[in-house]
Amino acid sequence: MRKMKKVTASVLSTFVLGMGILTGCGKTDQSAESEANANKPKVVTIEAQTAAPEVTRVENLEKAAEKLNEELKKQGKNIQVKVKTNVFEGSWEEYSKQFMLAFKAKKEPDIYTTGHENIGWLADGNYILPLDELKKSKEYSDVFPVLWDSVTYKGHIWGALQDTEARPVFYNKDILRKLGWSEEQINNLPEKVKNGEFTLEDMTKLAEEAKAKGLAEFGIIHRPVDGPDFHVMVYNFGGKLYDPKENKIVLDKKAVKKQLDYYYDIAKKDLIPDNLTQMEWSNIHKTVVNGKALFYYGGIWNVFNWGQDNFHEKLGKVDEKWVNEHFGMMLIPAAEKGGKGITLSHPFVYTVSSQTEHPELVKRLLELVADPALQTEHNVKTFHLPVTKGGAEHPDFKANITLGKVAYMTEYTTFLPNHEGFPKYSKAVFNAIQAVELGKKTPEEALKDLEVQLKNDLGDQLKIVE
Amino acid sequence: MGSVLKRWKLPAVMLGPFIILISLFYFLPVVLIAILAFTSMDSAMRWDFNGLANFQKLVTDPNIGVVVKNTIIYVGFTLLFNVFFGLALGILTTYFIQKESVGLFFRTIWMLPRISPPVVYTLLLLWFFDPSEYGVLNSLRALFNMPPDKWLTTHPMTAVILANGLIGASFGMIIFSSAIKSIPKDLFYAASVDGASQWSVIKDIIIPAVRWPLMFVTLWQFLSLLTSYEYILLLTNGGPLFESEVLALYSYHKAFQNFEFGYGSAISLVLVLIALIFSALMWKWFGMKKMMGSSRIE
Repeated sequence: MRKMKKVTASVLSTFVLGMGILTGCGKTDQSAESEANANKPKVVTIEAQTAAPEVTRVENLEKAAEKLNEELKKQGKNIQVKVKTNVFEGSWEEYSKQFMLAFKAKKEPDIYTTGHENIGWLADGNYILPLDELKKSKEYSDVFPVLWDSVTYKGHIWGALQDTEARPVFYNKDILRKLGWSEEQINNLPEKVKNGEFTLEDMTKLAEEAKAKGLAEFGIIHRPVDGPDFHVMVYNFGGKLYDPKENKIVLDKKAVKKQLDYYYDIAKKDLIPDNLTQMEWSNIHKTVVNGKALFYYGGIWNVFNWGQDNFHEKLGKVDEKWVNEHFGMMLIPAAEKGGKGITLSHPFVYTVSSQTEHPELVKRLLELVADPALQTEHNVKTFHLPVTKGGAEHPDFKANITLGKVAYMTEYTTFLPNHEGFPKYSKAVFNAIQAVELGKKTPEEALKDLEVQLKNDLGDQLKIVE
Repeated sequence: MGSVLKRWKLPAVMLGPFIILISLFYFLPVVLIAILAFTSMDSAMRWDFNGLANFQKLVTDPNIGVVVKNTIIYVGFTLLFNVFFGLALGILTTYFIQKESVGLFFRTIWMLPRISPPVVYTLLLLWFFDPSEYGVLNSLRALFNMPPDKWLTTHPMTAVILANGLIGASFGMIIFSSAIKSIPKDLFYAASVDGASQWSVIKDIIIPAVRWPLMFVTLWQFLSLLTSYEYILLLTNGGPLFESEVLALYSYHKAFQNFEFGYGSAISLVLVLIALIFSALMWKWFGMKKMMGSSRIE
């Protein structure tokens, strides 16, 4: 027994010694830092993180910090704010995961830029601060009112709106020309979609025609991986995704059945590539840019992507002007005649870590970053839409040929719910869509399996609407 | 007192760091998984104990049937491939190629996939199986006027087994070739004097001599295959749908894609139990105790 104690003691002392050496190293750094800073104005570092490639989201914070520093000087405060930026490269899941782990290690950024639909789990996990006072601030007074819905969860505002976008359907003008459409007809298509004269069924028929005549290799392309675009179809078919009263995710069986029917139908008619959900993003872009598909469920920021990489076989990178000559952008056509076109937006937001040491400075910084000029710089560079009326009226934004054409889409837009369990719903629905597209299941079977899966994954967070 | 200290000081200093490392990196994770498996930990990272809920969920999970089936197919076939192909390679490079430098050369080639980082190796495989006409396999098909096939969509499991099998075979190869080398040469000379056929040399001399390494490799590879998923993750990510999803990958997906850390841990815990049970059974079946005894060739 005594021997055992000795062994334990030795083992423990080795451990403690090791830890001592490690912590000792840390301390020397800290004391050196504080000595050097004794006389200068106190520099407060605020860390901000975003995901590639839209770095303007954090660069704008750096610019806003300059204004904040001027303000602080005027107020006679001996503080200077420095924004340290960090751009993450990787999938969205990894982006969430690294924040979760960094937060637990107390190394998270003060400002975490993310899609609005992450607010649910961020708020539920006490990762972020409520930002209700932003709604009252002067800078956010002219936000498009519908956008506040996207950052509201359990009655509070949780994020500072950064940008929004349009997810239009791109149509290939060259293919329509070859089908015998006049320039006028081609340019009027978005208007017809908006008014519900050109429906989802018409879109499918047109894609079939183009494919049958050999003018397009594929009729329709959608994103290859799980994402927000698929769920807009539930809204389009008159369904719901979320019940805010009960704070539950909704499985609207009628609408989801129609959603699955739609993807089953376009796959059966061979309008989409048969391995679409296994394709790489770069191949999707190549297929679209090289004119192999008539319709593409894309995003306005794709214009930015196509100018970044050599997707075109002959031209390489293509600019905005080229895109506008060869592609038109329209809303997603209404499911029924006489309905309205629809789209889905996915506002990006700045959230504030609940562990930040400088909540007041960070909040002021987020007010200053909403400046229309800064918004416009980001919007024009990366093809996003402004969140405030001031941003929409900025001359540079108005002068942009691409953005001007889709700005109206904000009026036809919808959002994903902010519920914590939504990523699970999204993943399960994507699997169901994949199954019907690959012909592994019929829509009926897929819906049945989906219901079982969601009940298992979400439990009492799920509400089923027959 | 003093003498005890004297006696244990050196072993403690020598072993202390390793005991710490082993408990930190081997023992602690298992304990943590076992605790986590009984919580509902999700993205909020809270330790809320929920009893057996995760295990109930596992039983009613609609995907679990297909995932377990995949795991059996994956582990079974890859194991066969690893062991028998490894043995064939061992025999080829030591018995049939007598010249040491040549044998070594071929063994080194087979070691390459094991030395190269998984991401690089998988990238090559992805290019090999690429669905376009530029993929290696498809350009070979093109020589015979066959249309390109989408290998990873049509045969995901075969691709996964091949990829893992080719890497795993080198492990068996190394163990078997050294075992074959340790067989006294006289046995082979005697066999050839007696006019034994090649087949009977393999069957009656080599196989009995590598019996223990054979069992060791089987057990070892079984355990590592059960918990390995990195090549599947990189190659097919379990898809299309769940066609190449195995238990270990399913646990990873649940924990790190759906952020159901509690549920993911419960799946891992089941894997740990399966591994423990099979280790014990194999230990018994193979008579590992006897193996630890003295060598049978002397």
